Amino acid sequence: MSLSLLIAAAAITIGSRVAALAVLPPPRGPVAALVRRLPAPLFAALAALSLSGNDGSAALPAMLAAVGCAVVVALRWRSLLLILGAGLAGFLAASLIW
Amino acid sequence: MSSAAPSARVSVISAAVPVAAAIGVFGVVYGAAAGPVFGPSLTMISSLIVFSGVAQFTMVALVAAGATPVAVLGAVATLALRHLPLGAVLQPVLTAGRARRALVAPFLLDETTGLALTAGERAERTIAVSGGLAYAAWVGGTIVGLAGGTFGSIEPLAAALFPVLFVGLAALTAQSRSDATRAVLAGTASIALLVLWPAAGALGAIAVAVAVSSVVKAP
Repeated sequence: MSLSLLIAAAAITIGSRVAALAVLPPPRGPVAALVRRLPAPLFAALAALSLSGNDGSAALPAMLAAVGCAVVVALRWRSLLLILGAGLAGFLAASLIW
Repeated sequence: MSSAAPSARVSVISAAVPVAAAIGVFGVVYGAAAGPVFGPSLTMISSLIVFSGVAQFTMVALVAAGATPVAVLGAVATLALRHLPLGAVLQPVLTAGRARRALVAPFLLDETTGLALTAGERAERTIAVSGGLAYAAWVGGTIVGLAGGTFGSIEPLAAALFPVLFVGLAALTAQSRSDATRAVLAGTASIALLVLWPAAGALGAIAVAVAVSSVVKAP
């Protein structure tokens, strides 16, 4: 690993963020309609990704319990803090059991 | 200034702090993993100027495996594609000009995107606050990891925070039954994809979300 390679990697990563947020025009027409439908499935897919550990390995039982508690609370209350708290509680409870 | 603004700001910080703490734990892991491969200076510089956990862990794995610089940059570029859909879903809620957007763009992460869409505060400000906290935690964690620190038993807890956060963000951005249906379909299909083809990774999961949003069109 060299400094120049690191700078190139940073330029790609930061450049793609700047392009996405400040350079590319807002989506229009059918793409705009698709983008309006995208947030919920996008975050659900990212939840699946982080649950799988990005390598397809099985999730810990405590992690599954955390997600299960979060889903139950998310169905009833629209508060991110409550959902995070429920996930934490589920994780800790499952850790005590397993 | 409306009375809702301070409450929204508190809400942003309250949600961003645990996320930053979890990111900090992974910063420690990164520092410990990258130190022997990159050396302390380049490990520190990588966290300061790249600020992307997935890209940095990938670089460590590839460099440790003897990959060429072209392969490393190819992997980083592929992973960077995930920023395009994040930017696209944020575009409708952005109010600042291009210069201010460019200033906060380095903080464009999955987590800050979700908080910006759901916090009730100006999106650019939410990205700046939550991204700034995450950046400080990531860099601080890298320093601790390089110094030999570990968080051992709380690493699984930190790992569990991310799916919980994304479940919450999926729930908060689901405005209709159709959104909820698309979220369940995308989550289920992504898990199936990642079990069958683990290498699909983040881009595979995002592709599933885009495909589900394209196919299931009910408002």
